[in-house]
Amino acid sequence: MSATAPVAEMAPLELLEGSTAIARAAILSNCRFFAGYPMSPFTGLLENMAKLMPAAGGVCINAESEIEGVNMVIGAASTGARAATGSCGQGIALMQEAVAEAALNETPLVIFNMARNQQDYFQCTRGGGWGDYRTLTLAPKDVPEAVEHTQLLFHLADKYRAPVILYGDPLIAQTRVGVRLAAPDLEPLAPKDWALDGTMGGTGKSRQVWTWAMGKVTDPGLGPDGHWRAVADKFEMIAAAEQRWESAYADEAETLVIAFGSAAKFTEYVVDELRAEGHSVGWFRPITLWPFPGAALAQATRSSRRVLVYELNAGQMLDDVRQFVHDRDTVRFIGGVSIHESGLSYGPLLDAPVLRDRILAAMAQPTER
Amino acid sequence: MLDSTSEHELLILGIGGQGIQLIGKTLAQAATSSGRHAMLAAEYGGEMRGGPSQATVVIGERPLRSLPILASAGSAIVMHDRFCGVVPERLRAGGLLVVNSSIVDPAAAGDGYRVGGLPATDIARELGKPQTAGFIMLGAFNALTGLVTHEQLVDAMRSLLPPYRIEHADSNAAALLAGSDAARDLELSGTVAA
Repeated sequence: MSATAPVAEMAPLELLEGSTAIARAAILSNCRFFAGYPMSPFTGLLENMAKLMPAAGGVCINAESEIEGVNMVIGAASTGARAATGSCGQGIALMQEAVAEAALNETPLVIFNMARNQQDYFQCTRGGGWGDYRTLTLAPKDVPEAVEHTQLLFHLADKYRAPVILYGDPLIAQTRVGVRLAAPDLEPLAPKDWALDGTMGGTGKSRQVWTWAMGKVTDPGLGPDGHWRAVADKFEMIAAAEQRWESAYADEAETLVIAFGSAAKFTEYVVDELRAEGHSVGWFRPITLWPFPGAALAQATRSSRRVLVYELNAGQMLDDVRQFVHDRDTVRFIGGVSIHESGLSYGPLLDAPVLRDRILAAMAQPTER
Repeated sequence: MLDSTSEHELLILGIGGQGIQLIGKTLAQAATSSGRHAMLAAEYGGEMRGGPSQATVVIGERPLRSLPILASAGSAIVMHDRFCGVVPERLRAGGLLVVNSSIVDPAAAGDGYRVGGLPATDIARELGKPQTAGFIMLGAFNALTGLVTHEQLVDAMRSLLPPYRIEHADSNAAALLAGSDAARDLELSGTVAA
């Protein structure tokens, strides 16, 4: 079930590199502050933001480090601006303390993980800092969807006052595709009455002093216990409300292949080919990595005899699949670590003929059911 | 020519400095400007010149299902023989293979394809602009496939030139035209799969 921002059909097709398309989608979503530190394949997004943001009346800063960048973004976001940062997994690892603080003190921000591969699934979905929080993560399968997800993420960050992640990759960052860009048409959100405006005199709006929600003597807050219970409740509510997925042929297929992001696009392609040849195969794709669409996966795998997990890592989403699949004994891992010799992109495992061979080999094995 | 459901996938192979990326971008931009869906994916090394350079272009009437790493292609342009091992791996039987015969022997390019050899590097030298060999190949390829009009190709080439390269616009246009003219006399050899 894909529920992403509608794109105006009338906007002209433009041939844009993914990084350019995402930057323009962010600005169309009223993102007006961006800070980050270059790291391939994220660098293109930072360059595009630097180029486009001034004309939009916004600010883009090439920070001295990822830590500095994400903290600048928290500052901008706390004044109510739509703000974002990004990197690839390595740089986002550096940001985790700040992301945890933003989650726990309820600062909305968007993080673009233009990752080198799919090894950041745990980083995106488990909460990489401290405390009881998660980061809502959307994993687009291609550039047009990355545009939709970018616009949706700015909306969801504000709606839930939380850091959220777009999990991209080199194919999304660097492929040029015809896309239509238009301002998103999403439900109206509550005004940001919490935003700082510099007003002094005890308004609480002059600066953000994070007191673990203890408030002031004259105006006590919820305190750490009450605040963190409320934050935990919020993430439980997001988990229930924001699961997104799509699937095809699940009810009529002996074998179901599970994949996310670019790997899901490859899976869809190969499954279509195999079905045209008469094989009983389908696919399921989590669009939100967190919250993981567990109930939908359980439903989709009810009649599967084989559940194949294809991801470009040592088996990370595999944990979530095993947690929610109808029958754990049907699960087989057909992905793996595969890195390009440059270190900056996928290796040869992300390829339709290779995936096809792996699916066929798995289908030749006896099933448990 | 495309019907409403098919996608045309082109593989462009050569070495850095031959304009591989630029001709891919020109074709993809021309298709986009004509209102069609296009995708351009590139792979090249850190070297400015001499390293492997590969671009793939996909064009279709509807949002594309082709992958940024092509599963297979219906046509290929091969500019240099150093890195054309990809052809038998990815070019489908019966596909159109246009090779730069100044460097690549069309007879050795592969069996089972419709092969056209075009001495693009020699033609470019005769035009006095050896760096335009890529546009000669693109002009010929487009004349053979009719994916976009010649005018759309020329417009896309002009629109992509940065201001500091604008003096090359006319010689690039001449190269596209020379390629298109050469394609008229081109005889495609090789077997065509049923």
